[in-house]
Amino acid sequence: MDIFNGLLLGFSTATTLSNFAYCFAGVLLGTAVGVLPGLGPIATISMLLPFTFGLPVDTALIMLAGIFYGSQYGGSTTAILMNLPGEASSVVTTLDGHQMAKQGKAGRALAAAAIGSFFAGTVGTLFIVIAAPLLASLALTFGPAEYFSLIMLGLITSMVLTSGSLLTAFGMALFGIVLGMIGTDINTGAARYTFGSPYLLDGLDFVVVATGIFGLGDVLMNLENERSRVVGVAPVSSLFPTAEDWRRMSAPILRGTGIGVLLGVLPGAGVLLASFSAYALEKKISKHPEQFGKGAIEGVAAPEAANNAAAQTCFIPMLTLGLPGTATMALMIGALVVQGVQPGPEILSQQPALFWGLVVSMWLGNLMLLFLNLPLVGMWAKLISVPYHFLFPTICVFMAIGVYSINNSVFDVYMMALFGVLGYFFKRMGAEPAPLILAMILGPMAEEYLRRTLLISHGDASVFFTSPLSLGTLVVAALLLLSIVSPRFRKVREEGLQEAD
Amino acid sequence: MNRREFIVLGGTAAVLASRGIALADSWPSKPVVVISAYPPGGTSDIIARLVADALTAKYGQQFVIENHAGAAGALAGGRLARAAPDGYTIMISGSAPIAANKVVQKNLAYDPQVDFTPISIVAESPALLSASASAPAKSVQELIAYARANPGKLNIGNPGAGTKGHIAAAIIGQMAGVQINHIPYKGSPPLLADLLGGHIHFALDAPSNYLPHIRDAKIRGLAVTSAKRIPELPEVQTVAEQGLNGYEQTLWFGAVGPKGMPKEIVSKIHTAIKEWSDTPAAQKKFASLGLTPVVNTPGEMAGSIEREIRSIEPLVKAGLVEPT
Repeated sequence: MDIFNGLLLGFSTATTLSNFAYCFAGVLLGTAVGVLPGLGPIATISMLLPFTFGLPVDTALIMLAGIFYGSQYGGSTTAILMNLPGEASSVVTTLDGHQMAKQGKAGRALAAAAIGSFFAGTVGTLFIVIAAPLLASLALTFGPAEYFSLIMLGLITSMVLTSGSLLTAFGMALFGIVLGMIGTDINTGAARYTFGSPYLLDGLDFVVVATGIFGLGDVLMNLENERSRVVGVAPVSSLFPTAEDWRRMSAPILRGTGIGVLLGVLPGAGVLLASFSAYALEKKISKHPEQFGKGAIEGVAAPEAANNAAAQTCFIPMLTLGLPGTATMALMIGALVVQGVQPGPEILSQQPALFWGLVVSMWLGNLMLLFLNLPLVGMWAKLISVPYHFLFPTICVFMAIGVYSINNSVFDVYMMALFGVLGYFFKRMGAEPAPLILAMILGPMAEEYLRRTLLISHGDASVFFTSPLSLGTLVVAALLLLSIVSPRFRKVREEGLQEAD
Repeated sequence: MNRREFIVLGGTAAVLASRGIALADSWPSKPVVVISAYPPGGTSDIIARLVADALTAKYGQQFVIENHAGAAGALAGGRLARAAPDGYTIMISGSAPIAANKVVQKNLAYDPQVDFTPISIVAESPALLSASASAPAKSVQELIAYARANPGKLNIGNPGAGTKGHIAAAIIGQMAGVQINHIPYKGSPPLLADLLGGHIHFALDAPSNYLPHIRDAKIRGLAVTSAKRIPELPEVQTVAEQGLNGYEQTLWFGAVGPKGMPKEIVSKIHTAIKEWSDTPAAQKKFASLGLTPVVNTPGEMAGSIEREIRSIEPLVKAGLVEPT
């Protein structure tokens, strides 16, 4: 199917009444959870996953995707108006966004974020249209050795690019791999790390772990400052950027989009890294780096464009290789598998309506978000003033229901509580949980591919270096690791990531 | 025990028994989980989904598929064995987790002959030996010759240790007297992907996923394991035709529940499967997948399980299928 026919099919799929309605529901919900601290897209999608089982597969995926990229828009609203990142990837937006708001330019900052996001979203979906079929046709050249190397790259990327100490990130990733090992061995059926408990024979459901760490953990963390919390919402004046704003933000939006598009495809990098990198780049090449952190519109437009571009393009490896680059993408795979669709190179030929429908719905969703977020910004600002003593119990109840309904297991609810406490502990310690979750998902995959590679090669490990694709991937991973050792890069990394803290 | 206690106990038993009957009468009063032992898209999973759809249509309750792929279905089997026998969890799968795993896997967490209630076999199919475009052999004879010339180098992929693909390949090795390395995958789709990419050269698996690619000449069909050739691939010879006289292996797919499932519910599911598989629509669907519908009684299915296990035991004893 060529691109034109594909897009036609996509439009006819995405504009059916129910798909359109669920897309709207998804982006609306996404904006809401993006605005609300303590509830991010991972926890929300985890909770809603069981509810999508009864929907057709395209509708389910369109809605879940809408929540994910919708939260990228919503996150910037609170970041700008209240200096509160509603969502992890909008942390950098607070730096200049809130400064602009303090200077009475809140509306222009919001507009810069929304316009940047919309432009990036459009380019991101276009990039999927072109790159996904290309990658799918290449996918067959990926054997077990190449998959293993790619997964290693993803794990190393997620460690190197997390904020905080590298050693902590490494420890978190290792802990994640161990958590992923729990359960029945995939090749032999042997029980591992189950401590004799039948509940652990199936392994830990990562939805349970993610809901605990990201959902409950965030709620616990936010309770700390509940009494001292001052809800100060900056007033929103004109939403129209001036000619000067346009001139200053056009190039950053373009560069941010480029960074986001590329980093989104890289497994392990994700939206967070995209916004950090875009911010760091703008600061580096700006003629007025001293304005950054004091309300530079470039520092709002570029990272917002980058995180939204990445939010679209991270679907590419998930759909075409079946490789989840982020925890959210692993949830999407879960949603597809439940419906009998195995993500992989065949998805384009076997599920064309699903693929093209999703792509077109993403563009439509971005358009809806532009209108949802700019004119209605006041409404979202009100949402944040909902007292936590109403909000948090509600969130906890929904998390418990969501986790329980995956396996109808009370044990899972206890596990979520346990990981909630652990998630709170991690946040207090400054240990970023992203590598843990990703390692928990990718660790068992890495093991499966490693064992298969060595079985096929009769125990000869040199295959990882004789395949050019695998070798190239491993070299990139090794360079990333080495760069940490280099004091110069280390300084850049620390600067770049510290700004976000 | 005094008289009062006796009466109370008897009454409790009566209540429990009547609850069991009431349970069966109102079944299904809520969604039923159908465990699929392999990832989506493989033959076993397609059959599970077809049956789940048919049961949903008949009873007006959702029969929801849950995929638990891995360890040749042992993960799914373990999950079923731990489920409550109330008729709200059943499993539909190829024979590995229902039979072969008992002797092929040392660490199996359950005994399929003790912990499961047979419901019915649903369909049968031959297995297909296929080869990548760049494979070093184009027939079973060439495959055997290659294995003789390169001892220990012949890899044949299967959808999981102990699956029929694994057993059928082991029997080829046994009859031809050559060594075969069995490479287990997590079901058919990843095995097919590696075969198409030429990362593995041979696969022995249920035919349905492979047929379209053989028609497109992206991979090659080397042999079918049945006694006769199959209508979907009339030009592909049987293994027996290519020199291994008497070779015949059949895959089957069936439905089971946990131990102690009420008889009434077993017979309700069994009847529904039978009615559905007699419809022309089901027959057509089966034919397009290279499957033959076979619905036997729960008692007959127990016999099939027993025969399957007995037929594999000698292979395990001879060291051709190593228990893992």
